[in-house]
Amino acid sequence: MFDALPDRLAWFVGGPILGLLIVGLFVVANQPLGASGAYVQTSGLIRRRSDVVVWRIWYFVGLFVGGLLVTQVFREGAEIRSGYDAMRDVFPLWATIPLVFGGATLLGYGAAVAGGCTSGHGMCGTAQRSPASMAVTVTFMATAILTTFVLRLATGGDL
Amino acid sequence: MRLNIIGLLFGIAFGGVLAASNLHEYGTIHAMLRLDEFDVFWFMASAIAVSAPLLYLLERRGMNTPFGGELSLSRSMPEKHHIQGGALFGIGWALAGTCPAPALVMVSSGAMLGLVAIPGIFLGLHLRERQQQSDQHVGDGEHRMAVTSHH
Repeated sequence: MFDALPDRLAWFVGGPILGLLIVGLFVVANQPLGASGAYVQTSGLIRRRSDVVVWRIWYFVGLFVGGLLVTQVFREGAEIRSGYDAMRDVFPLWATIPLVFGGATLLGYGAAVAGGCTSGHGMCGTAQRSPASMAVTVTFMATAILTTFVLRLATGGDL
Repeated sequence: MRLNIIGLLFGIAFGGVLAASNLHEYGTIHAMLRLDEFDVFWFMASAIAVSAPLLYLLERRGMNTPFGGELSLSRSMPEKHHIQGGALFGIGWALAGTCPAPALVMVSSGAMLGLVAIPGIFLGLHLRERQQQSDQHVGDGEHRMAVTSHH
């Protein structure tokens, strides 16, 4: 709408801001700024469990709203599209959908087994100097880079 | 009640930073994992470089937080499930090109395939939850449920 933000914030601006947000949630509530926990609580709400942590659900909603504000209000406004341009260049839609869904299921399952995801372990856990989080982070970075390399080989360098 | 507003605000700020940094775009994550571009690694490293020393100092000073008691960091040792979970997470991350927080921003940015990724993440978490009844994997990730308020 307003086109007030650059196309992409530089890492040396965005990264430190995120660092301060991580500290901020610890200062206010002594909690890590992890995202997969918010999914767990939201799924608990959908399944009408009685022991959900309500503020994590508000946090889940906030992630969506924050994205909306930046992409639609402070920027010119992104249009409805499929996304995944680089993957769509290589695979048709009928192959992209199961690939994305399968990958997402796998990462959700993995996050539950590991007890956290890129935010919970990768950033907040590492910032707490947790050896377990560092082990998770090194492991998922390694398998993600390896998987990307295998995909690249399998598609003849196209993806 | 006030904690809910704080949760909402932190979500908005985190989602906003992810969106402003284009981390919700498949292309950004893909270029990072292809090692074509190191911006996301620097993004993560600088977030940690800012937060780790501050958290260390605040914990040492025994800071009292308004909603969560004394500020305490957790530092558990790696177990087998950390490696197993991390390995699966990384494969899924590379295939889906997104992770839990950016997937939500993906949808708000208009990328409709995000609506395929989000149910997948829910399904994966749910499948694991059905296998184990207890919260035995409470850790330094966000699954530590040091719950401060239910309402």
